Amino acid sequence: MSENYSGIRESRPNRYNDLGSTGSQAEKDFKNGCLKKADRSFAQGLQCQQINSMAALMSLEDSVFIAHSPQGCVGCTSLAVDQYRVGQAHRGVKNIKNPRIIVSNLDQNNVIFGGEDKLKKAVGDATLRYHPKLIFVFASCASGIIGDDIDAILKKLQEETQALLIPIHCEGFKSKICASGFDAAFLSINQYILKKEKLEKKKGLINLFAPVSISYSDQKEMERMLSLLGLQVNYIPFYSSLEKIKEIPAAEASTSICKVFADEFMKTLYEDYKIPYSHTVMPIGVRNTDIWFRGIAGIVGKEKEAEEIIQREHERILPLVESIKDRLKGKRVFICGGTGRSFAAAALIDDFGMVLVGLETPTYDEDAQADIEYLNTIHSDYVIDIANMQPFEQVNLVKRLKPDVFIGVPEWAAKLGIPTTHVLDMKRPTMGYDGLLFLGNKIADQLENPGFNVKLSQHVKLPYKESWYEKDPFQYIIGGE
Amino acid sequence: MSQVIENPRGGCVLAGINSVLGALNRVCPVYHAGPGCCMQTTASDPGQSGNKSSSFVSSVSIPSSNMLEREVVFGGTQKLKTTIEGAVEIIDADAYFVLTGCTAGIIGDDIVSVTTEFREKGIPVFPIETPGFAGDSNLGYEVIWNTMIDQVIEPTEEKEENLVNLFGIIPYHDPFWSGNLEEISRILKKLGLKVNTFFTEQQGMETIKSCARASLNIIIHPWILKGPAERFEEKFHVPYIRYPGLPIGASDTRRFVLKVAEALKLDDRLVNQVLEEEEVYVYRYLAQAIGTLSWKKFAVVADGSTAVGITRYLANDYSFTPVLVIISEPLYRQEDKERIVTELMTLEYAKPPRVVFCADQYEINQELLKQEDISLIIGSSNEEEVSSLKEVQNIVAAFPIKDRLIFNRAYAGYRGSLTLIEDLYDNL
Repeated sequence: MSENYSGIRESRPNRYNDLGSTGSQAEKDFKNGCLKKADRSFAQGLQCQQINSMAALMSLEDSVFIAHSPQGCVGCTSLAVDQYRVGQAHRGVKNIKNPRIIVSNLDQNNVIFGGEDKLKKAVGDATLRYHPKLIFVFASCASGIIGDDIDAILKKLQEETQALLIPIHCEGFKSKICASGFDAAFLSINQYILKKEKLEKKKGLINLFAPVSISYSDQKEMERMLSLLGLQVNYIPFYSSLEKIKEIPAAEASTSICKVFADEFMKTLYEDYKIPYSHTVMPIGVRNTDIWFRGIAGIVGKEKEAEEIIQREHERILPLVESIKDRLKGKRVFICGGTGRSFAAAALIDDFGMVLVGLETPTYDEDAQADIEYLNTIHSDYVIDIANMQPFEQVNLVKRLKPDVFIGVPEWAAKLGIPTTHVLDMKRPTMGYDGLLFLGNKIADQLENPGFNVKLSQHVKLPYKESWYEKDPFQYIIGGE
Repeated sequence: MSQVIENPRGGCVLAGINSVLGALNRVCPVYHAGPGCCMQTTASDPGQSGNKSSSFVSSVSIPSSNMLEREVVFGGTQKLKTTIEGAVEIIDADAYFVLTGCTAGIIGDDIVSVTTEFREKGIPVFPIETPGFAGDSNLGYEVIWNTMIDQVIEPTEEKEENLVNLFGIIPYHDPFWSGNLEEISRILKKLGLKVNTFFTEQQGMETIKSCARASLNIIIHPWILKGPAERFEEKFHVPYIRYPGLPIGASDTRRFVLKVAEALKLDDRLVNQVLEEEEVYVYRYLAQAIGTLSWKKFAVVADGSTAVGITRYLANDYSFTPVLVIISEPLYRQEDKERIVTELMTLEYAKPPRVVFCADQYEINQELLKQEDISLIIGSSNEEEVSSLKEVQNIVAAFPIKDRLIFNRAYAGYRGSLTLIEDLYDNL
């Protein structure tokens, strides 16, 4: 996230969102510069960047979250609210709180005359009600198009407001890649909270960036692993606070649980505060957990300790993995997930000797290329669908490829009768060495007992016409030739 | 007209429109909207309605033009056209409704011309020009019925004597809508009626098209559908009655049944026989658990229809003490507020509760915190926080509900009232 980065992920070179290909072809085309920006003439709904911006920060203490938008733009906060509530329960909080979300509720009048007064009222309400330390204001499509100058309004309000007012430019129409919303949030955190002020480094302190989708048991596993290296974790921004954010520049190094979550921000922290970072993979599966762990150990000069720990962990884990492998070896898998999760899942199935037949993920870029190069050394022939969900393409592919198991959002493949499982469990373990066993057993159990999906598919039809399954799944991708 | 609001219950009008369409069998919404609107609107309404959503298309499976900067600047009708073409080509729906997000609404894309092209070819694509910023999700139900009256329902002077249309139990805005519709419909069928619920029993576009054949429109709700009900009567000559809240339990369901019977001039003997049977059924259960629930002084936080239903039932039939009722949806007409207040004031034995109208979560919490001497809060998932601070029993029985799974559970009618009592059992 260098000086002039806009926060819009499309602005980075060689990043593609619409592509149908195969693993080997995509690797070749990317290398030769043959991939082109494309689009879909027909598509299903996407996730907008505002959803990600809000979800990323929603669990911060002493904060109020204002959406400068019509009422609907806080819809997806219901997911983050649930995560926040459940997360508190897992952390033993007695009186479980709601996050404080205020919507300025732009309506017909505001669309014509502007929504400045409502934004002021929302900030005023937030201050009077909660005396927060932080007030985040999230832009929306509507506020962006009508041209409300949120920055200027907040700058003026800041003079009379004790809480720090932080605008976040996450207007939905600006990006097709929802992860841009993470960048928008971090850009503002850097600009309004950290302000390039350097702090004295604390030996052994690590920034561990984690999004809302990480379960408490995964957090504990990551913290456990890093503590084996004698490192203390500043776990941010999920379940953290202004104080913890302010401590970011004091860290010796940074790493992220999710590959896509803080990659741009960690670059910025290196440029602005000289904090080195490890940008590797999501720690799911033996190989990825090793890589993730070595990544951070390398930066703090603990390679030797890390190798000893990895060896110990392997001795403990691998025999158990072997027993799961007996149940899963040779099974054909289709994977769909976010950029971090899907590649992590693809690496994971190698632990169990499974075969990749299809991979669906939202973005293809340099990071993806590195993962694909690795996957191509293991799996010879698999389809790639670069798509943000687009279940219509997914079901066409799944029906064609007939995998033994589908890993991802189960809703559609289940109706085709395919056993389904997931590596995105926001409430239970998936990560690190211990998470692997939970995950492996889950996959094996679900694959061996597919009764629900089998019977479901006999009674419930997907909404697509039979003719669609005969057609080219990528026929609506246009302009990429 | 909209107010700044904390933790709003449900999304924009687009969310309301989408959830009602989602509850119709084999109907496909097509969004002409920004890239997040499908997810946002599904998460705000179906997503907070007991964790189920349309199995046909919902959230990221809804076709959408995903308007980005290019469409904002140059207009998005071309993108909409190819999106509808694709939807028609691959999705096996009985009808397609094109909905507008804020982006399309602000830049003023003409969706009617686009949909007309398809209609001229005989493809059932209907435009709904109500962008998200035009209101909250409650209004979606009215927008849908206005659309149906204008564009879908076929006029006829042939009426079926025993056919009724059931309105007012709003899909997803009432998390118990499926079960509630099933229970009310069960009771009406026992009275010898045929019931269009539109959203259960795989009814759908055909039922809607032919619903002008009904003899009576029954609205179970204190305020929704005022305009559409009048327009329905004008255009299709079907009169309506309004029962002002969800009927729960023997007393109110009797009152509801008698109102329907009067409007349709049903045979007294049959009506009395049904009432007798149902009441015996309910009381045989209630008699088996006398004193099992401890006595409660309660507060209700819910939309008008649910609040009226639950308060009246627990006060009139279960001898709990109503203390405070907070109507948590924005209401604009004085007559609507009065209708709700009247229902809550005219209790049989109990003293009427204090009634407050407020939709803002902070204000709701303040009202509950300052209310002394309550031992039960019946509300949404949003009231769990304040219930825990007050250390009182809490049941989540009103929208939004994020921490329960609800399929066909009902609180309405006779059987639903027993379920409500089951849910209130706390063993503490």
